[in-house]
Amino acid sequence: MKKMVVLNETPRRTSKSFGINNIKIENFELPELKDFSNVNIETEVNIENTVHEFKPKFSIGEVLVNQIKDQANKKLYINIDKDIKKPIVIDFELDETQNTLVDNIVIRAEEGKKGTIILKYRTKNDDVQAFHNGVCNVKAKANADIKVIILNLLNQKSENYYSMNNKLEENANLEYVIADFGGSKTVTNYYSSLIGNTSNNTVNTMYLGKEQQLLDLNYIAEVYGKKANIDIEVYGALKDNAIKHFKGTIDFKTGCKKAVGNENEYCMLLSKKAKSKALPMLLCSEDDVQGNHSNSAGKIDEDKLYYIMTRGISKKEAQKLIVKAKFNNILNKIEDETLKNELIEIIDRKLDY
Amino acid sequence: MAKTQVDDINRSIYNIKNEDNYSFKMKKGLDESIVRQISKMKNEPKWMLECRLKGLEMFNKLDMPTWGPDLSCLNMDDISTYVRPKSNLNSSWNDVPEEIKNTFDLLGIPEAEKKSLAGVGAQYDSEVVYHSLQEDLLKKGVIYTDFETAVREHEEIVKEYFMKCVPAEDHKFVALHYAVWSGGSFVYVPKGVDVEIPLQSYFRLNSPESGQFEHTLIIVDEGANLHFIEGCSAPKYNKVNLHAGCVELFVKENARLRYSTIENWSKNMLNLNTKKVMVEKNGVIEWVTGSFGSRISMLYPMSILKGENAKMEYTGISFAGEGQNLDTGLKVVHGAKNTASVVSSKSISKSGGIATFRSNVIVAPEADGSKSNISCESLMLDDWSVSDTIPVSNIQTDDVEFSHEAKIGKISDEAIFYLMSRGLSEEEAKAMIVRGFASPISKELPVEYAAEMNNLINLELEGAIG
Amino acid sequence: MDNLLEIKNLHVSAGEKEILKGLNLKIYKGEVHVIMGPNGAGKSTLANVILNNPEYTRTSGDVFFEGDNINDLRTDERAKKGIFMSFQSPEEIPGISVQNFIKSAKVAVDGKPVRIFEYKKKLEQTMSDLNMNKEYSSRDLNVGFSGGEKKKNEILQMLMLEPKLAILDETDSGLDVDAIKTVSKGINMYHNNNNGVLIITHGTKILENLKVDYVHILVDGQIIKTSDGNLAKEIEKNGYESYKEVK
Repeated sequence: MKKMVVLNETPRRTSKSFGINNIKIENFELPELKDFSNVNIETEVNIENTVHEFKPKFSIGEVLVNQIKDQANKKLYINIDKDIKKPIVIDFELDETQNTLVDNIVIRAEEGKKGTIILKYRTKNDDVQAFHNGVCNVKAKANADIKVIILNLLNQKSENYYSMNNKLEENANLEYVIADFGGSKTVTNYYSSLIGNTSNNTVNTMYLGKEQQLLDLNYIAEVYGKKANIDIEVYGALKDNAIKHFKGTIDFKTGCKKAVGNENEYCMLLSKKAKSKALPMLLCSEDDVQGNHSNSAGKIDEDKLYYIMTRGISKKEAQKLIVKAKFNNILNKIEDETLKNELIEIIDRKLDY
Repeated sequence: MAKTQVDDINRSIYNIKNEDNYSFKMKKGLDESIVRQISKMKNEPKWMLECRLKGLEMFNKLDMPTWGPDLSCLNMDDISTYVRPKSNLNSSWNDVPEEIKNTFDLLGIPEAEKKSLAGVGAQYDSEVVYHSLQEDLLKKGVIYTDFETAVREHEEIVKEYFMKCVPAEDHKFVALHYAVWSGGSFVYVPKGVDVEIPLQSYFRLNSPESGQFEHTLIIVDEGANLHFIEGCSAPKYNKVNLHAGCVELFVKENARLRYSTIENWSKNMLNLNTKKVMVEKNGVIEWVTGSFGSRISMLYPMSILKGENAKMEYTGISFAGEGQNLDTGLKVVHGAKNTASVVSSKSISKSGGIATFRSNVIVAPEADGSKSNISCESLMLDDWSVSDTIPVSNIQTDDVEFSHEAKIGKISDEAIFYLMSRGLSEEEAKAMIVRGFASPISKELPVEYAAEMNNLINLELEGAIG
Repeated sequence: MDNLLEIKNLHVSAGEKEILKGLNLKIYKGEVHVIMGPNGAGKSTLANVILNNPEYTRTSGDVFFEGDNINDLRTDERAKKGIFMSFQSPEEIPGISVQNFIKSAKVAVDGKPVRIFEYKKKLEQTMSDLNMNKEYSSRDLNVGFSGGEKKKNEILQMLMLEPKLAILDETDSGLDVDAIKTVSKGINMYHNNNNGVLIITHGTKILENLKVDYVHILVDGQIIKTSDGNLAKEIEKNGYESYKEVK
């Protein structure tokens, strides 16, 4: 039955008329679920197919959380109990027959263990109408050092709903690299709880919106640990009629002495009709912290475009060059050259008119 | 001596109560008969009664806000909406009753007058009791009067602008305001006139359970220039007090208006005020705002930049101490080409106070070439206070430069050590740093003209050192 | 009798780490002392602990000033006694002008109001002696100052506050030759038979125009050698290696 669902509620409300407290999806319907087997896994550790129930503090929305809890058609439990040298790669491909994926992934990193996990969500071609609702839960025990790369490379016809829930214990380091490129609708909810002292969480996200794409990103970090550090960097570009809402919250809780939080969002507007909304919140109930946020939006600097064009490069190519340059810092966090080049290719293709 | 580092403003001198000496008091609560009665007593034209009834209708229709501070402490049945003081309008200071004069004396109004202020409109409870305007302004054609007089003597112009900037539909409390408004200021500055001296107005509440619903309407016509200063202070009472004023401003082509507010309501006040300006081509609005008092404030001056090259500047500070929840900020709509907004907001929270900054910047599709720059800085003076920054941006065109930045933190230990190494005590060092933090706003205020505002800021700083 | 500063067997740590490990030092009125030593030896710690920077903890030992034990005095009380430190990186304080700041500090250390006219005159004169642009007096304290301007502003404060003991923590570091000369000039203007100077430095340029009484070598939290002014030149030539081996 089709109905309206309300997703990605912000931790603090603003006036309804600002239209950013949540995202309303009209005519939403949970699809029939079939088995999902189009997944390719490269791993050094054993991955189990059962997971424990998860209870996120800030969830993407009840209807999606319940679907994952009750009906997930892919469950993966990754226990990082030794240092992993080669990244674990989990590659989901959605096609005409397997076009619905509801995945529940739990990553548990034991004390002091290191590893990188790459999650790829792709559609086989541009015509598949896929539905994806997934969650990645990371529990980083003391001194664990984990990197998670999440690539949403679905096509323009798919719906993508994604949650990340993280808990960081003492001195744990958790790094996220996220590419949110696909989906007619992409709703992403990120929640981190920095419980441990000196825990460190960095999030680097790049997004691209084109045509009628709608992106709603809701990032929330709650800082409890002393000297904990949270860094959220989000870079994106919008063309055509794309719409993006970025909501980022850093919440310094009483007691998180000497914690540091930085949040930065930068949106490049490549078309007159693209729309960007942002709400970067800083909530603070502890005095001994440093919190900074900034966000900016605008078109690409004309002087830069001109400079590049004087070297014989077309305006379109120059634009692409500048967008990629902005993404460069994030792209460089992906060590695997093949994967990086694949992403650059996708960026190029998405920016082509 | 265990004195707090940065003391609350010493409010005692503002907390002088006169005996509750009113001549007439409305029955509690709010229904249509009350609204009609208010209108009748003021001998209002029919259109004004209709505005009031429209306000009442919206008040009953609209919901309480679903965001911001908890207003559950507010019970409208407890608030009598209209209190009329014994004295009627006075044209000369000598005619003002002694008791009222004493209170004003302590607020420094006569001092300001001596310094040849352009005009003083002081609201005592709901009626304006004292009003003067320098003669040269009269000669220039400037109209500065209390709002009731304006409705009577300048009906056409009031009718043209009243409720046109802020509609009754905006929110529940502005609807209430329209139903029961009383008192306030009206200013009209004719084309090309530069009012060199700031016009000043004082509002004050002096009766338990009385709400204050003053209406301010200012029109700065083409090429004209005005600085209007609004200062608020209220004696302390135990019961909840509500302030739901409304400020409607019109800045015409090439005109400039600076609207300064120092707000120091006593700590039982709910300050739910609405301010909005329409700015035409090449017009400039400057908001200078200091929020020190009240229990709860919800105040977000809104600027509609509807003409090309219109500009808005906002400089504000709020200081949330014990028991205070100050939710302040601004809204701006870039509605035309090459419009600009610059915002500098600061907040201080201490002793469990909550300071929240909210903003909403809208850049409309037609506002090509617009620029918006917002910067927020929050200072936390202890670890049980709260400071939140909640800024929204809504950008609907590509040809825009929008940036926002915010910082939260405490006074650094290194800075305190540096100042202490020069012989200042820890308390003095902290106070000095807070003073420095607040200086961008105090610099913007014409303190030499505004005796009470000057008082307020000095008290704050002396309280810190003394 | 004219004992200004005396430090006895001082142990100081920052966090878990012990930095000063039994340091002794005596400064009499009229003397100029220089402390040199490799990075991390504890030079700045010494300066900061004399002013009671809360970042450092005195674990044992004593600090006397003019014969009084000042172990338990707060930073401002020490400043009022007449101890001054020129900071290595002075803090920027927005919203407070140099002029007003020095005036507040002067009132605090002297314990009496300043005569505005005299104060302004002296401030202007001193600024001109230090080749400082007059407009700096109305600028916010250290905000947007270059490294050199900040250091000059420290010397300006020293000259205005007239302490009994001035500790200069690497005031010369990062300065060009002319600025160092100005700083030296400021020290000479300040120094007399009734006060003392403690210079912490890496270089010898700042010492060229000064009459130095003692040079101390500080290595690993202890003074391991004390000699006359010539020691500084030797250090500049040969470095600290030989002293590290001694330990």
